[in-house]
Amino acid sequence: MRDVFELEGETRRVLRDQTNFSHSELTKDTFALQAIGLRKTYGATVALERGDIGLKSGQVHALLGENGAGKSTLVRILAGAVYPDSGEMFLDGAPYAPRNLMEARQNQVATAFQELSLVPNLTVAQNLLLPKLPKAGPWFVSAKDTNRAGEKILARHGLDRIDPQAEISKLPLADRQRIEITRALENAGRVLILDEPTASLAETDWLFERISLARERQVAVLYISHRLAEVREICSEATVLRNGSAIASVGLADATDSDIFEMMVGRKAAHQRTPRSTRASGDKRARLAVKQLGGHNLHNVSFELRPGEILGVAALEGQGQQWLFKMLAGLDQPAEGQIYVDDQPVKLAGPRAALKTGSGIAYLPEERKTEGILGGLSAATNIVLPVLGSATRSPLISPTLETAVAQSSADKVEMSTRYLNFAIGDLSGGNQQKALIARTLATGAKTLLLFDPSRGVDVGTKQSIYTAIRNFADEGGSVLFYSSELPEIVQLADRCMVIYGGQVVRSFAGEDITEQNLVAAMLGHVTSENTIEVKA
Amino acid sequence: MSTVQSDLSTIIRSNENPLVRFATGAGLIVLTYVALYALYAVQQPRALTSYSIAALINNTAPLALAAAGQAIIVISRGFDLSVAGVISICNVTLAVYPMDGPGGALASVVLCLAIGGSVGLVNGYLVAVLKLQSIAATLATMIICQGIALVILKAPGGSVSEWIVYEMTDRIFSVIPVSGLILGGVVLIWLALKRTSFGISLYAIGADETSAALSGINVTRVRFLAHVLAGCTYGLAGFMLSAQTATGNPTSGTPLLMLSFAAVALGGTALTGGRGGVFASIMGAATLILLQKVLFSSGVSSFYTGMFQGCILILAVVFSSLLARLGDAK
Repeated sequence: MRDVFELEGETRRVLRDQTNFSHSELTKDTFALQAIGLRKTYGATVALERGDIGLKSGQVHALLGENGAGKSTLVRILAGAVYPDSGEMFLDGAPYAPRNLMEARQNQVATAFQELSLVPNLTVAQNLLLPKLPKAGPWFVSAKDTNRAGEKILARHGLDRIDPQAEISKLPLADRQRIEITRALENAGRVLILDEPTASLAETDWLFERISLARERQVAVLYISHRLAEVREICSEATVLRNGSAIASVGLADATDSDIFEMMVGRKAAHQRTPRSTRASGDKRARLAVKQLGGHNLHNVSFELRPGEILGVAALEGQGQQWLFKMLAGLDQPAEGQIYVDDQPVKLAGPRAALKTGSGIAYLPEERKTEGILGGLSAATNIVLPVLGSATRSPLISPTLETAVAQSSADKVEMSTRYLNFAIGDLSGGNQQKALIARTLATGAKTLLLFDPSRGVDVGTKQSIYTAIRNFADEGGSVLFYSSELPEIVQLADRCMVIYGGQVVRSFAGEDITEQNLVAAMLGHVTSENTIEVKA
Repeated sequence: MSTVQSDLSTIIRSNENPLVRFATGAGLIVLTYVALYALYAVQQPRALTSYSIAALINNTAPLALAAAGQAIIVISRGFDLSVAGVISICNVTLAVYPMDGPGGALASVVLCLAIGGSVGLVNGYLVAVLKLQSIAATLATMIICQGIALVILKAPGGSVSEWIVYEMTDRIFSVIPVSGLILGGVVLIWLALKRTSFGISLYAIGADETSAALSGINVTRVRFLAHVLAGCTYGLAGFMLSAQTATGNPTSGTPLLMLSFAAVALGGTALTGGRGGVFASIMGAATLILLQKVLFSSGVSSFYTGMFQGCILILAVVFSSLLARLGDAK
């Protein structure tokens, strides 16, 4: 009797499957991972309206979109870190709905997160192997086996130079990113999700080699990046998100850059290079001058920055550029050499002192989340922070005045007024960065030190930031900026110094600032052609 | 590019500066203790007799155990105020319901562990499962526990079973203090725990809870267990305190509350989590108690003890961060 019933159930299921057998059922089997109509809201905000994406085994698929388009939410859903309100996912045709990261990992879907998910006080090996550390006996974790296993993983991914016993917090950011990627590679049997994997990597060779190896293993790769050149190099297809919805999935071979920009922002991006006017005139005295500056790994760095000038710094990761900016911002003291502001020798005791020195120096730090924003405060407060005095009808801070003061700076970076009263931590990365740049502008300082001003922001925000920087220089301000993206230096800089091994190895000016010239100098290939020697 | 890359990258090896390790580990506090003990021995030649040592360790044990439990919570980036409540309940329970003989002592210690463990369960549920702020949740449980202690015993009184009072403060072969053995046992258990997944996870969630969760660590479970474990340790502290005082007092745990944090900080455990250890915290507690003795034997009025303890705490924190900075600068 029971058998009959079971048979009936079986037949019914087969019948139902046959009736539902449609075109969409067919295509879902051809994807390694497919998501249909994913939706996620946080309170009243719709983070993701309609997330559709299909990843194929052995292919690298790009996810493109402006900041706030819903990329991070989609990634988090696929990774198992966030559970969608509605929508379906299929992994090799079977329903896939991970409740947490480990469930995704058990299904061989692994993610390298943009904000890095490594535990800072544990070793490289422990981070690579968590949560299952090799045991000696039933209770104890074996440190020796952990390190050995970690060493093997590192070797397998071409990172033998990293000590498996090193504590994560002691590693440079770029190596931490490599470890994060390595861990994802180790766990990604079917799907590998890389969220902004090059955010802290100055060169992509290692990463691209790892990705092609993963492709050979028939892993489907989802690659999220703002750098279109990179995406073109490694990806075959792309899905574009706009305002939380998947706009289109296209073959990258058939789509031009401006097609993609259009899909991302909904308008054709004007990407012609602004003609570079020689804003800086030689006879003006230098606003900021540095002579034979040294300390940490920097040696003998000398340059001058004049009013109206945008001076770029190009360098591979870790060539000492961080220290140069920190010394100029007063966050670190030079071991040798002298800094001059408005021709006066100065000693900068801290960022506040730097702001008050001469015509003022304002600094935009590298790490937006940890060194920049105060997450719980409103965007307006974050902007007016250095000049709180101007928002007070003493002794109390006036919210209206605060917003008004913030607004004038926010306008310069084309930041919408409606964001000013939001907690800055709730804004997208692009708007956070705009607010931080507005903050440096609000200080009234005549010299801006911008460390990677457009790091991890979308195309539209980038253009707003560039415009703000150009306008600032046109009004007589001086800008020193470092960028990890060469096109940015080519577009923005009037002059550019290249730092290699802690020294300024080359300086370029005007039309000589080309990506080729910069790359050669950044790698230490110093030729005497087309270059201007550094003014001491 | 790849050849350049290998040119550029300096080989990273974890040749950690011994100075840093000294400052962040238990080295500094052990050295402080030894120096202070030498001073004590100069003042009081009898300090080196096994009787005095045992008396000192007996005095140290309750605070040391309270600090040990507190350290577990602090490492996981939390605060546990319930320590005062647990110790008070255990103390009044043992004073009101004395159970004699070795069997009674065993039952008593199990009872104390159970009391501490139960409070830990509640804390764990509030903090780990309901995700309440640990300082708020444990403040509530502390107040509840102090209320319960008052219900059990309204005013100081009662007497703890003689077997506990006598044996727990005694010396084995007239040399090894029983309380020292218990402290040693706790340290051994901790050293073993540190080598388990739980131990590693505890440090991980203390340093960065989000990353730990994204690395697959079950944060809720680890935090829950930490509170239960800490609760049991407080129970043991209540047991040892009762052996010391031989009587019951519904507010007996209160003086140990702030001192347990002081001991943890003195031992170099960062109150921001992720660093430190139980042994160092026990040594921190021992130093605070020894300081009392030294001041007493120097003829300083006991009214000044708190001031000295506070100053030593500031000095220790400043000194250890100086050492750490010196080590990092190299």
